[in-house]
Amino acid sequence: MTSEPIVRLEGISKAYGKAQALHPMDLTIAPGEFVTFLGPSGCGKSTTLRILGGFETSDTGRIILDGQDVTAQPPEKRKVNMVFQDYALFPHMTVAQNISFGLELKGLGKAEIKQRLDEVMSFLELAPFATRYASQLSGGQRQRVALARALAPDPALLLLDEPLGALDAKLRGQVQMELKAIQRRTDKTFLFVTHDQDEALTMSDRIVVMNGGRIEQDGTPEDLYFHPQTRFVAEFIGATNLIDGTVRGLDGAAQEVVLDWRGIELRGQAPAGAPQTGQEVSASLRLEKIALGAERPATRNAVMGRIVDKTFLGSRVAVNIVVPEAGDALLRAYADSDVTARLGDAPVWLGWDSHALSVLRH
Amino acid sequence: MTRNGRVWLSVFFWAFVVYLFVPLLLMILMGFKDSKFIGFPIRSWTLDWYLGVFDNGEVIATFGYSLWIAVASTLISILMGTWLALLLSGRRFVGRFAVYALTLLPALVPGIISAIAFRIYARQIGIEPGMGAIIWAHAVHNVPFVALVVMARLSTLPKSLGEAARDLGADPLVTFMRVTLPYLKPAIIGASIFCLLLSFDDFVRSFFLGSYEPTLPVLIFAKLRSGMSPEINAISTVALILTAVLGVWAERSSRRMNREN
Ligand SMILES: Nc1ncnc2c1ncn2[C@@H]1O[C@H](COP(=O)(O)OP(=O)(O)OP(=O)(O)O)[C@@H](O)[C@H]1O
Ligand SMILES: [Mg+2]
Repeated sequence: MTSEPIVRLEGISKAYGKAQALHPMDLTIAPGEFVTFLGPSGCGKSTTLRILGGFETSDTGRIILDGQDVTAQPPEKRKVNMVFQDYALFPHMTVAQNISFGLELKGLGKAEIKQRLDEVMSFLELAPFATRYASQLSGGQRQRVALARALAPDPALLLLDEPLGALDAKLRGQVQMELKAIQRRTDKTFLFVTHDQDEALTMSDRIVVMNGGRIEQDGTPEDLYFHPQTRFVAEFIGATNLIDGTVRGLDGAAQEVVLDWRGIELRGQAPAGAPQTGQEVSASLRLEKIALGAERPATRNAVMGRIVDKTFLGSRVAVNIVVPEAGDALLRAYADSDVTARLGDAPVWLGWDSHALSVLRH
Repeated sequence: MTRNGRVWLSVFFWAFVVYLFVPLLLMILMGFKDSKFIGFPIRSWTLDWYLGVFDNGEVIATFGYSLWIAVASTLISILMGTWLALLLSGRRFVGRFAVYALTLLPALVPGIISAIAFRIYARQIGIEPGMGAIIWAHAVHNVPFVALVVMARLSTLPKSLGEAARDLGADPLVTFMRVTLPYLKPAIIGASIFCLLLSFDDFVRSFFLGSYEPTLPVLIFAKLRSGMSPEINAISTVALILTAVLGVWAERSSRRMNREN
């Protein structure tokens, strides 16, 4: 990252009574990034967002926003706007009045307000609803008004706390796309919160996975999906095979970990802070990274197995494979339906590269 | 519900209607009687009594006096009650329960007792009987109703609404004026109407704390003692119609506001 970060959190934390909702945490966000906080309920996502917005005070640390220390500033002073989960539209104001609210308080002139209002409303296709009240709008329309209201004052950072939670599944998918497109077009920095992993994967430039008030892992969606660093991330995002083994050694040049998996030698990718020889570790192997075939594959890892179960999923088939050499351990994989048909009941070869097998941090 | 149940319910309902409206109807009719005495049969009819109400300087003045007391005491109770509701719904503080109990107390003390107590206390601290004393007593009596209605409304105010206002650049005062207060508006209007009617209708406090100038209920009472005449019916009917109009208007406007929110 070459540019100055738009947000820098330095050791912020929060305790409610004895419960530590948020452990000291550092995070930087670059301008124009779409960053998502992903994690199970109660992991501290909202708390972090509310500290950034100024609705909660951090027990420790500093918040640097656009180069300025805002730790002690109240919400109205911060150049940050929030889209609330319940949208929090003012019920006694029309759509246009809701959107103008922040502009008026910024001290803009009448003409400027009108211009910015029209701009935002046409951008979000809200013009036909300008004189309606929130109670006269659909869920998706309300969501757009909340977004318009937060975008109108041109904040340095937009906070979105599960803004799609109230929408039904179909609308949700559509709004996800819209939101992502809006973020690209406005080039704004978005900090988005969700506990839905698919939502996080489709929308984000970067995902911060949180658990129990701590950051588990921070990376691109591909990074998190294919190279999880912890067991929590591997299990929380997508389906995976977890392989438990003992470290036999490290292949320094290739940055590979040599694993003993119930007597079979496997090669996997080392996590940050490589494990010691003899240590018990887990490794994650995504289902789609396993190639099935009749011949022994040329990949770094190859084991022999037998298909015991197939589930037809439409475009592909999920198969359960027993590996006799590894004490009848079970692996799951995806295959094309014609491949499984061709293989029949014959033994199959399973192959995957060493970087497909992510050894997890302990 | 069974058929029988429905029949009984409608019997009770109509009994209630008869019980409520027949006396009112008789009162209204009697105002049209062309005679000095109340009672059936009505042999000839006249509009004189009703027209007399609008001609009678004493009645008009009393009406204005009552209205003025109602408006003034309502303003005071709305300010006090809303302030107490905000205080009690906000951050916890030491002695909150005591404040809560004290706020509600005036609604629980029987009118006659509080009226006598007010009278004694007013003399002790040198408050003369009259308009000020009546306004004071009415205001205190109405505060709990305002506080309860406003607190009920406040409890439905989503926390995020105030936060959204702050987020968009409003300081706490602007947030209160532009978001909290408009949200409370239906409750405040409803409570105001209620207070106006309670004050306008009050007899006991006005009687004990008044000077020589009577409020409308006190005037009617005084007139009753000097003999029943259809004039009283006419005065009461006019008062009834005015309060009914106010009530219906309040109901409709609060319903309209609820639709908006
Ligand atoms: N005002 C509060 N008082 C006490 N505890 C709180 C308060 N707000 C949050 N917590 C606690 O802090 C922890 C983190 O809460 P937070 O709201 O940040 O979770 P979250 O990750 O947003 O969860 P969700 O997905 O359910 O919204 C939770 O254990 C919660 O119970
Ligand atoms: Mg939350």
